[in-house]
Amino acid sequence: MLSIKNLSASINNKEILKGVNINIKPGELHAIMGPNGSGKSTLANVLSGREGYKVSGELKYQGKNLNEISIDERAQKGIFLAFQYPTEIPGVNTRNFLKTSFNKVRKAQGKKELDALSFLKILKEKSNELGMDEKMLSRQLNVGFSGGEKKKNEILQMKILEPNLVILDETDSGLDIDALKIVADGVNSSRNDKKSFLVITHYQRLLNFIKPDFVHVLADGKIVKSGTSELAIQLEKTGYKGIN
Amino acid sequence: MLNFKINLNEIDKIGKFSKEEKDFRLKNLNYFNNVGFPNKKQEDWKFSDLREIVSKNFSKLNIKSSEQEKSKINFIKDFEHNYIVVINGRLTVSDFRFEENDKIKLKSFTNNDFADRKENNPLINLNHALSDKGFFLEIEENYKFKKILVIYNLFTNDLNEIILNSKNKIKIGKNSELHTLNLIINQSEKNFFNNVYENVVLEKAAILKNICVQNNKSSGYFHKYSKHELSNASNLTTFIFPSGLKFNKLDLEFNLNGENCECNLQSASFLNKIDHQEIKTRVNHNSPNCKSYQKVKNVLDSESKGIYQGKIFVKDVAQKTDAYQLSKAILLSERSEFDSKPELEIYADDVKCSHGSSSGSLDKDSIYYLMTRGLSENESVELLVNGFLSEVIESIKSDSMKNFLKKKLADQLNGYKKN
Repeated sequence: MLSIKNLSASINNKEILKGVNINIKPGELHAIMGPNGSGKSTLANVLSGREGYKVSGELKYQGKNLNEISIDERAQKGIFLAFQYPTEIPGVNTRNFLKTSFNKVRKAQGKKELDALSFLKILKEKSNELGMDEKMLSRQLNVGFSGGEKKKNEILQMKILEPNLVILDETDSGLDIDALKIVADGVNSSRNDKKSFLVITHYQRLLNFIKPDFVHVLADGKIVKSGTSELAIQLEKTGYKGIN
Repeated sequence: MLNFKINLNEIDKIGKFSKEEKDFRLKNLNYFNNVGFPNKKQEDWKFSDLREIVSKNFSKLNIKSSEQEKSKINFIKDFEHNYIVVINGRLTVSDFRFEENDKIKLKSFTNNDFADRKENNPLINLNHALSDKGFFLEIEENYKFKKILVIYNLFTNDLNEIILNSKNKIKIGKNSELHTLNLIINQSEKNFFNNVYENVVLEKAAILKNICVQNNKSSGYFHKYSKHELSNASNLTTFIFPSGLKFNKLDLEFNLNGENCECNLQSASFLNKIDHQEIKTRVNHNSPNCKSYQKVKNVLDSESKGIYQGKIFVKDVAQKTDAYQLSKAILLSERSEFDSKPELEIYADDVKCSHGSSSGSLDKDSIYYLMTRGLSENESVELLVNGFLSEVIESIKSDSMKNFLKKKLADQLNGYKKN
């Protein structure tokens, strides 16, 4: 699904990622943990195609070179990034935006665009699963949403767009335990043998609810240790300093 | 190079006038001829050098021509309405089928105010000198319109290198209420200049809600001076949605003469190509306990230029004034320009006045966010611009009007391409 080889990325001449290697197969869920400033969010940004980074190394998604694909095309090809801090977009109605995005991705994948009525049915079903208030969907996109509402809105988009590769960038931050459970359930119910996940997180807490197949520790722009979910538990005990 | 002096004989070509009227017209034409089209040396025109714009784009300006009086109109089908049709500034037909007709007076405008005033704006003098058309609409006391009145302003395709001067007056009687949609439809592809003088009078507790929409881009050069007089407890709301023209200046004056009156002005513009648009306002708080609110939003692309000059004047007696003014602009192109000049002149000591002005480019994070959801860069920009401008539409109550305006805005932004 995703193959990252010797990936380096710098911004304003500062090297953030210094040769990252990860290989994710279909159906796998990988967790990336690491201290502040280790490059976790940069990795998420680079995978989504955000401009401003100087990138070198190999970045392959479904066998294609990602470096040559624009942000929107990556989304259309099934890469989804759930933001750590979803952007507030005034004037844009959440429901209309979701429909536009949904049909845009469907069209690019050669599927039939859905009319408002059929889409609203899907939207209602998915938002109910996440326990979202429907009124929220009538509001402006992320504007005035609480931290929890913003994250739920990200997971809602993930469920609607049905991506092949999901990158969750610190989706657990700022969530209370109930919201965390709902978000985790949202992820778990989306897991199948075709879909892959890359879960970026600070804390082991999220991994109590979402069980990873592999855990990588990112420190100073490099993967310093990889292992199974046991590694996350060990980290919680020893801290990042204790792993070397 | 265009000669800015207009021959005094032109007045005789327009019509036969009483001596008093002719003197008035001659005096005003002399005023105009002394200064000509205003240029940037005049403070009110510092951002819109009309002299340069006219001399660049016109080789001559005819005063009188035999332009068409008939034209095909596509009437709005989105909602039921009364209508007036004005062709090239001249009142042609009207239909008040939803109203009590004895409450409404409508006739062609005849000026009977020949007082000699010094006007700061030479185009007003020009209008006083040459105006030969327009309408006068008067609503009796205690009458509320049941349906909106649409004023179809048509400009025919035979207009070419001509200047049209018209005067309109709308007077709303005590406790009466009128909602209007002023729709400007231009069929001419040639250059012409439209110079309008408008007078709006609201008597005690009268309400006017006015929406002004330019239907399409055109080669028209538009100037409108609009003077509003508000009596006690009257309420005026104006929404302006221009299409973007090579020259469009709205010079709007609001006189809050009675206590407890309110005026509200909002505007949303998308300008591109070489559009040049200025909205200039002057709100005179002449009485206590009045409220004024202004919000002007502009999005500018290509080499377009937008201007907002907004002045709030508070007279010494106008205590408890509440005046607000906000201008927001988004520049999509490095070659576009937005000038804003907010002014407050306050002589009362117990007032609440605030103003704000911001201009900048679109938020990059927002574009990035939308693109990660599969929208192209252009689609993201279009969605953001639409969101920015439609906020003004959202504050209109009527759903059918909201949808009508949203469709117009979407048409305007449709196929937006980053230059």
